[in-house]
Amino acid sequence: MTLASTTAPVASRAWLRPGPFALTLPALLLLTLLFMLPLVRLFSLSFTGGFGWYEKALTGGLYTVILYRTFEIAGIVTFFSFVIGYPVAFLLATTTPKWRAIGFAFVMLPLWTSVLVRTYAWMVLLGRNGIINRMLIDSGLLDTPLSLLNSRLAVILGMVHVMLPFMILPIYSALTRIDPDLPTAARGLGASALRILTTIYLPLSLRGIVAGVTLVFVVSLGFYITPALLGGGKVMMYAMVIEQQVREFLAWNFAGALSVILLAVTLVMFWLLNQGVARHLRD
Amino acid sequence: MRTRREVLAATAAALAMPKVAFAEGEPPKPKQLIFNASGGSQIASLRENYLNDFEKETGIKIVDTSPVDFGKLRAMVESGNVSWNITEIGGQDGYRVTEMGLAEPIDAKIIDRSKFQPQAQMSHVFSPSCYSTVMCYRPDAFPKGGPKSWADFWDVKAFPGPRSMRNHPVDNLEAALIADGVTLEALYPLDVDRAFRKLDAIHKHVNVWWSTGQQPAQLLVDKEVVLATGWNGRFYDLIRKEAPLVMEWNGGILKQGSWVVPKGAKDQYWAMKTLAAMADPKRQAANAEILGYSGMHLDSNQYVAEKIRPLLPLYPDNLKKQVWLDQKWWTVNGAQIGERWNKWMLSKA
Repeated sequence: MTLASTTAPVASRAWLRPGPFALTLPALLLLTLLFMLPLVRLFSLSFTGGFGWYEKALTGGLYTVILYRTFEIAGIVTFFSFVIGYPVAFLLATTTPKWRAIGFAFVMLPLWTSVLVRTYAWMVLLGRNGIINRMLIDSGLLDTPLSLLNSRLAVILGMVHVMLPFMILPIYSALTRIDPDLPTAARGLGASALRILTTIYLPLSLRGIVAGVTLVFVVSLGFYITPALLGGGKVMMYAMVIEQQVREFLAWNFAGALSVILLAVTLVMFWLLNQGVARHLRD
Repeated sequence: MRTRREVLAATAAALAMPKVAFAEGEPPKPKQLIFNASGGSQIASLRENYLNDFEKETGIKIVDTSPVDFGKLRAMVESGNVSWNITEIGGQDGYRVTEMGLAEPIDAKIIDRSKFQPQAQMSHVFSPSCYSTVMCYRPDAFPKGGPKSWADFWDVKAFPGPRSMRNHPVDNLEAALIADGVTLEALYPLDVDRAFRKLDAIHKHVNVWWSTGQQPAQLLVDKEVVLATGWNGRFYDLIRKEAPLVMEWNGGILKQGSWVVPKGAKDQYWAMKTLAAMADPKRQAANAEILGYSGMHLDSNQYVAEKIRPLLPLYPDNLKKQVWLDQKWWTVNGAQIGERWNKWMLSKA
């Protein structure tokens, strides 16, 4: 009796149970309102007067060169984030819980610190009168300070520092899902450490790597503060040029075209990357 | 029934009503006005010297916001959603803001500028102060005496060491031409090709192309560079705090500190009243003593403490060595030269 009376209404209200679509509805609405609509507006803005703004953006060298260099820097940052981040993620995934907690504190702390603060920290370290130069000069290794700050190197260092957690976290999460018996079995069968890495860990954490690489690369493309402060004005990124068009020259149509180009090139690159990974996983 | 005469009289009275009401009193006071400015030490001084008293006298609260953003101003005016009652704009944008119709005309009935400098008589821009882009250096880097001109700034043999300049063509093109021997009188229209050729010679000696006003001052204090261009107020502040820096006025490029009431802003009468509070020469002098930016009222300088006067841009001995930026020229040519600047910067990297 009581059982029937409690289950019946629930069954009749099954439609009220939120499905996966209903659960994502708030996020979808928010994205549509705050992201998709402005994007559509930007898109339409960039086409006022035909393809003129696109022609300007894609010819004459300047903007295509900046686009190329932006991808180059994002690529270098992604590479170093991976080379440094993978071993860290590996250690976090395989160490004892105590060390994992300590390691995570070190990974997460910078994430909770403002990008601006971290950028200034690099200025203190790399400056002509900074800690590194002073150590080198005081120890007699150098006479005149090295120009470390205000260079592409400084920009890349600062960006890798900011992006590292975004590489470590998805790879860590993929590594923890690997069955620990697999490497043990491989070791039992006499596989070398390198063999275990290349045949077990790397392929099985591939999805995490792709997620990390995607995150780091895409966020790096839009970097703004770090290059402006650590590059000494000599490193120009696409986002900086877009901002300049919006705020200074008030050329919003042109800024729209530049944004659409950046978005399109990024999307195509990731479509290709995902195609490649999907094919690899199928094989 | 009313006669025709009575109806006419009543209509006339009704029509006259608003006029009478306006003449008798002021438009209703808003609770607050949004005052957009650069922020930092500047707004602190503006509060102390102008805005606090304005709040007390009128009962209107002044809410200050920052930063200055020309793009946002245009977005506000074009969307008809103007949240600023008053905003500062860049010193090079006074003519552009007028041309683009983004500002209300300055109401001469409310703001008396009859005794202001000629450069502060713009139709849509109120300018209570002015500033100058000058060079500043660390004297400890030049024991035999520092640079005295833009030509010296370019002379890396006589004055060696890393430099900093603004990552923007405004001021730099002027400085390059003056360094190349162009006189202040013959500066405009700028010979752009010649200026870029001269800039080629200095590029590799410029360690930092700065983008925010506080950068050059900080770079000098940190010994990151020994010689920099910058806005005089930023250097003034450090020199007053006894930083080991020296400013050189020769070849300084003057600009108006500029304020506008955005087109279509609410409570314009009270916004103009706020600006009028900034027209008082004594208050301008007190503001100048804190920020290093001369008042534009012709009497303002005489109220500044005597030992501070030589540190301000409109002090006669300083003024005669400087030149006013030609805003019209930059409004016409700014975007095109901005692009060329980017290209030039890119070709050097």
